[in-house]
Amino acid sequence: MQRRSAARLGPLLLLLLLPLAWGEGPEPPRADGELQVSNRLAGQAARVALHYLNYRMGSPSALRALGQVRKATVKTIPGIGHKYYLQFITEDYKSSQNVGTCLATVLYLKRKPRPAVNINCTYTKDQKQTREDDYSFYKKMRQQTKPITGNDIPDSYGNIEPALEPAWALAVAGSSYLMWEKSTENLGYFMAQVKNVKQWITKDDSIDFDYLVVLHEIPTQEMISCHLRVIWTPGRPLKVKYFCLSENQRSESGEGSGTESGSTNGIFNEEEANF
Amino acid sequence: SVAGSSSSFLSSSVCSCCFVFTRDQVLRIRASSEEQIALLKELGELEDLQIDYWLSPAQPGLPVDARVPFRSLQAVKVFLESNTIPYTITINTLVCKKPTRPIYSWMDNLVTENPDLVSKIQIGQSYEKRPLYVLKFSTGGVNRPAIWIDTGIHSREWITQATGVWTANKIVTEYGKDASLTAILDTVDIFFEIVTNPDGFAYTHSTVSNRMWRKTRSINAGSSCRGVDPNRNWDAGFGGPGSSSNPCAETYHGPSPHSESEVKSIVDFVLSHGNVKALLSIHSYSQMLLFPYGYKAEPAPDHQELNDLAREAVAALAELHGTKYTYGSTIDTIYQADGTTIDWSYDNGIKYSYTFELRDTGRYGFLLPASQIIPTAEETWLALMKIMEHVRDNPY
Repeated sequence: MQRRSAARLGPLLLLLLLPLAWGEGPEPPRADGELQVSNRLAGQAARVALHYLNYRMGSPSALRALGQVRKATVKTIPGIGHKYYLQFITEDYKSSQNVGTCLATVLYLKRKPRPAVNINCTYTKDQKQTREDDYSFYKKMRQQTKPITGNDIPDSYGNIEPALEPAWALAVAGSSYLMWEKSTENLGYFMAQVKNVKQWITKDDSIDFDYLVVLHEIPTQEMISCHLRVIWTPGRPLKVKYFCLSENQRSESGEGSGTESGSTNGIFNEEEANF
Repeated sequence: SVAGSSSSFLSSSVCSCCFVFTRDQVLRIRASSEEQIALLKELGELEDLQIDYWLSPAQPGLPVDARVPFRSLQAVKVFLESNTIPYTITINTLVCKKPTRPIYSWMDNLVTENPDLVSKIQIGQSYEKRPLYVLKFSTGGVNRPAIWIDTGIHSREWITQATGVWTANKIVTEYGKDASLTAILDTVDIFFEIVTNPDGFAYTHSTVSNRMWRKTRSINAGSSCRGVDPNRNWDAGFGGPGSSSNPCAETYHGPSPHSESEVKSIVDFVLSHGNVKALLSIHSYSQMLLFPYGYKAEPAPDHQELNDLAREAVAALAELHGTKYTYGSTIDTIYQADGTTIDWSYDNGIKYSYTFELRDTGRYGFLLPASQIIPTAEETWLALMKIMEHVRDNPY
């Protein structure tokens, strides 16, 4: 059953992909329906939902990565955009252990700058532990008299100095905001490396970092450098400012403070049937 | 043993990450003072101990990696402990260091130690005139059906060249021991190009800022940007939207199909061989097993068979460490890509054309830690075996 619908979608997907190859151009009509779980658009949408979740959770110890897509459907909303309905398994970003399932919708809008995400997840990791881990990193950074700095995290061989790992995780959380903002139906991102981290010692409650991060852009394969400023207090929304420079000298910037629309744990209003 | 005797060679050759198979150990030492640094330098000078510093003692706080032969281990450890210099042991894992000798010397050693099975062929030269070497694994015959495997076509995908080295060693170790591999090599030949893009590979080692280089290093006329994406340069859907016409882009297809000598050399070799039955091109990352097409959505005529075989191969892979792969046609599973290796090979009659995207799914990406190299190579081997068995059992 699934195979037949995929075969039907095949040629229509081609129509869709050609002008949309790099995220621009008019959109041809898309066939609505179920997608194969291995379909790249499903995986891409699930990642967008996770970027949003990781940003909103603002917890370096509770970052999640995509495990497997379990179900994916797409619907055209005429004049608005394409809406994905997803069910996927998540893994702990560091340990790759299964940490729960998510239901999410991702709406790629024609007019607004970023995808609209609603996501609701189960979480099987010990939340008390992650709060403690976050707090212990926070406390350690608050106690620094000399700002911490670092380069190339991970290094060329994939090593991450244990002392710098939480700062790297905070960079992932901060980059998640930026990756959510930049993602389109056809352009996706991974945080490839922290080229540079420098702490700002502050007098207020927060801890404050300047990062230079490198993002890997799919499908263009470009490596994009972005300056990221992340201000964090555990339990409060992450504050992120960014400024990116790409090979084509397009520069983009943005600012996030946790007040953007979207939801992570509200009442899920979607009909069961849409999933 | 073959693996044992090739190990010391392997461990000091230039794959950026090298294998230590013997009872020798690599110690990671942390000197915390100038005095300790001086002691380590003196230790390295004692000829009898034969210590080889992969990361030399330089400054306190920076890690020192010392390869210590088995017979010197006790003496070295006693020395370190009595001077309270902490160390950890890495055994049978991949340890990484700066290249000192070409990977080519490892290849020559493999050939010398296994003359009845392995030979080395040069199929051409890179843009910067580095030799393009292919290892031929053959038990005889004349122009037997062949399986082609390449790793490292995209230079930043370091897990692939490392997997290639491990796999080549695995083939020589298992021939004569594993019934299935032996049966494969008794009917088909394997051609294995491990450093398919040597200019790019050298460039990724040159400085930390070049680590992410993907393309060849050819000069593009009229542009300050170098390099062509060697996986967009093939004559199959060449120049389409699944590639870029901008020389500065990572997916720049080049001025014309096969403009890159790294690509042309393979084309010429495969076509003149005339009996290649499978082409497996190994990349990272994403954990995917892909088959044609990338340049069009129309399913390949052999879609069903390729899909079924892919399913079996990824199931076999997952059994070892639980690593999950997705699979399907390139265009459905990863993205539209034009001018790719496997679309070219498929359109030239090589039915079993697959692209592997190895670990991981984005946490480390191209910067996969050394600790994952052996597990990755081991699980990939199981998928490769499934495909090679199918090629053996389904001649066409």
